Amino acid sequence: MQAIFSRRQPLRLLAGVVLAQIFLLAFQIKREHDVRLIRYWAVEAISPVERAGAWVFSRVGGFWSGYVGLHNARVENERLRGELDRLRLRNAQLETEAGEAHRLSALLDFRQVHPEAPMLAAQVIGASADPISHTLFINRGERDRVRRNMAVITPDGVVGKIVEIFPAAAQVLLINDKDSGVGALFSDTRTHGVIRGTGDIRPRMDYVVNTEKVRVGEAILTSGEDRIFPKGLLVGTVADAAQGNPFQTIHVEPAARLDRLEDVLVLLSLDELAPQKTEAGPAEVEPAAPASATAVPSKSPVTAPLNPAPKNSEPIAPSSHSGSPPAANPPAPQP
Amino acid sequence: MSSMLNTGARSGPNVEVHRYYSGAVVIVCFLALVFQAFLHKYGRWVELIDLPLLVTIYFGVSRRNPVSGMFLGAIIGILQDALSHGNPIGLYGIAKTLVGYLASSVGAQVDTEHPASRFILVFFLFHFHQVVLAAIERVLLNHPEPFFTVRLLLDSLGTAAFAVFFFALLDRLRRTS
Repeated sequence: MQAIFSRRQPLRLLAGVVLAQIFLLAFQIKREHDVRLIRYWAVEAISPVERAGAWVFSRVGGFWSGYVGLHNARVENERLRGELDRLRLRNAQLETEAGEAHRLSALLDFRQVHPEAPMLAAQVIGASADPISHTLFINRGERDRVRRNMAVITPDGVVGKIVEIFPAAAQVLLINDKDSGVGALFSDTRTHGVIRGTGDIRPRMDYVVNTEKVRVGEAILTSGEDRIFPKGLLVGTVADAAQGNPFQTIHVEPAARLDRLEDVLVLLSLDELAPQKTEAGPAEVEPAAPASATAVPSKSPVTAPLNPAPKNSEPIAPSSHSGSPPAANPPAPQP
Repeated sequence: MSSMLNTGARSGPNVEVHRYYSGAVVIVCFLALVFQAFLHKYGRWVELIDLPLLVTIYFGVSRRNPVSGMFLGAIIGILQDALSHGNPIGLYGIAKTLVGYLASSVGAQVDTEHPASRFILVFFLFHFHQVVLAAIERVLLNHPEPFFTVRLLLDSLGTAAFAVFFFALLDRLRRTS
């Protein structure tokens, strides 16, 4: 105490006492918004330092976070790009598989509708290298009991016939090929004719006299006279018809999408595909995968879409109006 | 407090240090505060004379020790704040701390026994006290307290004149050695 109260440090003591009382005042005095002066001073004293610190930290933090964020964004961008590529590839695979499943489902439905007809699912594995000829190759051949002049169809309509046989493959001549010919008839008038390929996407129906009324859009079915295609298969519809000499010029819109074939059915017999309803169980369906299995007829109570229910199911004789059209193709009976 | 004020005080070589009877300083200070608070309600004339200020100046000058004068002024000022209405504690405390310190410092350097010197000393310390009060109120309380007015001038003259007689009365409390 003696040292404190000595006269060596009176000014310090004075400053201390005054300062203590100033703080005492500051604890009591309130400024605007009922804020005590000591708090006001404290905030005023601290806030510049806080602002400076916040500014520095925000700058440094912003720079750092930006750098790190940029780096992370680049890494993530690369990762996302890779993932996007993988997903695109996966999406393409799934789309392909979905399309294939859809096609196989259509084939399966068709086979279930026609359990009486032995047929073999096949996959299109190639096409002709010649741009003029319209042929394609399927993955079924001699090992699968495929023979020449067997009909090749899809659930939509007639595709063509087998013209060449290989051990594990076969060549199909499409109905729009110039060398192709299919015995056909109009679904309504039952007028017979022959569908010949033109080399174009649309074949032509010949030997229909000018007096015959042909309606655009009328369905054209196989007549069975060529002994290749069973009677009643849908070939296509009349695209346009014009008077000619001596027969009409009728272009046919093929029912099957001949330019986008991927899966087809090979009919193993010439039996007519008659729509019928049975109470059989589920059918065994052979997928279009490359295999040597034979077709197994299946049973299903479904109506065939390929047979547009001809009004008269009796065998159709050549129409009196159309004369006697020549055979579409030389009969080639097969075992 | 009286012992603190009565001991340890040293002054300059040519200035006499006065001592008081035991308890005299405490009693005088207490009575000054009581009279200032008690008589305040009997008339505004009390406002003209700041008895605690005069007591602070008198004992600060007499003891001639800045530290003791400073603490005496601080204690008297804080008590005056406590007895006042609405004043934050420390307003008069700071002012009288500075007055006590200044009075002791002046008393340690010059002779303040003469009535004229006492008059002048009280006059200036009165205005110093007012300036400190006004500064504190302006700075801390945001009150536009004037530093100097004619009224204050008249008050200071009256207080200084009263102090001459009041100090002479207090001189009777000195212990003769």
